[in-house]
Amino acid sequence: MSSNLPLSDDDVHAYADGKLSGERRARLAAALERDPALAARVAAIRRQNVDLREAFDPWLAEPLPRELIAGAQRPRGRKPPRGRWAMPALASAATLIIGIGLGWMGRGEVLHLEGTPTTFPRQAALTHALYATDPNRPVEIWANEEDRLVRWLSKRLNFPLHAPNLHAMGYDLVGGRLVAGNEKPGALFMYENADKQRISLLVRKDNEHTSETAFRYALEDGVGVFYWIDDACGYALSGRVDKPQLLAIARVVYGELAAAEAAAPKP
Amino acid sequence: MPDSLPHPDLVAALPRLRRYARVLTGDLNRADDLVQDTLARAWEKRRLWQPGSDLRAWLFTIMHNVHVNQFAVRRREQSESSLDADDGPVAGWEIPVRATQSDRVELAEVFAQMGRLPVEQREVLILAAVEELRYEEIARVQCVPIGTVMSRLNRAREKLRRMCEVSASPLKVIK
Repeated sequence: MSSNLPLSDDDVHAYADGKLSGERRARLAAALERDPALAARVAAIRRQNVDLREAFDPWLAEPLPRELIAGAQRPRGRKPPRGRWAMPALASAATLIIGIGLGWMGRGEVLHLEGTPTTFPRQAALTHALYATDPNRPVEIWANEEDRLVRWLSKRLNFPLHAPNLHAMGYDLVGGRLVAGNEKPGALFMYENADKQRISLLVRKDNEHTSETAFRYALEDGVGVFYWIDDACGYALSGRVDKPQLLAIARVVYGELAAAEAAAPKP
Repeated sequence: MPDSLPHPDLVAALPRLRRYARVLTGDLNRADDLVQDTLARAWEKRRLWQPGSDLRAWLFTIMHNVHVNQFAVRRREQSESSLDADDGPVAGWEIPVRATQSDRVELAEVFAQMGRLPVEQREVLILAAVEELRYEEIARVQCVPIGTVMSRLNRAREKLRRMCEVSASPLKVIK
């Protein structure tokens, strides 16, 4: 597009959308100063853009159905991989709900841990950093004894636990451990991918029920943490993984836990 | 890896694919079917994916094509079997406004009026204003010249603005 051409309708749209550059952009900006009607038009387009985003962005925060996550995983028609990870995820015993009677009062609230104020995501990041880098003993009980691990943690925390299956995201369970919390212990499940990259899920019991399930993000000393509250449990997924990827995994964790909860017998 | 798609990126794109599917179909269930069909098609065509390029725009292109094909088939079936298929050019928008979307009355209005735009205009608005794709990318997604994208965008914006104005007017007769 030559810059000698007169400004057109297309330029007005491109300008309003922030897609016009260089000399034409400068010329349009100058035209706006002279022409209030044109300026009003650009403002109206921008306002409409904002409204459209606000109207349609809430859909992005919705949890994804398991079928869609599975659909992204592999071509249809191809057989699922064999082994225990191939079990239908909903019925899978590998999916365990975790819940712990911890003294965590709510998202973002400050915990007093040994005199040091620590937020939930910070504690998750510190816990992850401490154990994920441990070559010999990152977990207390390894994944080959997954059933025992789950029984043990459930007993210690007095709450039925579920460890999500993250195989679809390329991560397999390494194992788990009991970790120190404020007043009561928490549960940490660690996962690893083929590149030996580790992520961990920290789960704690909240005292108050809340319907809010929005994902929140924090970056603590290079460790990314997505955390959320669901039905009185606080979850934090931590790892040195870039944000979009960690969010994608967090969505899968969320979907797994929601499905496990739905499948669990009512007390 | 030319024989595979970046799975985490694919999952990360799912919420946006789903939104685009809802805007295309105007129906929550049909939207999820469309996402599934798009994913299946994407895996079939995975060798055509250029690593490093915008996966989201590539998936939108596939989804647009899958939808156009399905829409054509459905139209044909309808005109053969149904006597009252002539509801006009706009497919019904059967998506309820979510609580979070009705916080502001104007937003609920924008949401509702979007459903009354022809599908190609809804599409261009979502891709340009919400997804902020470049106009050339939108032309590729819709498989039309860029001039068509611009005229669609112009008409869509103008029409949506007028519809929202009319319905916000106090003179409007409440249905």
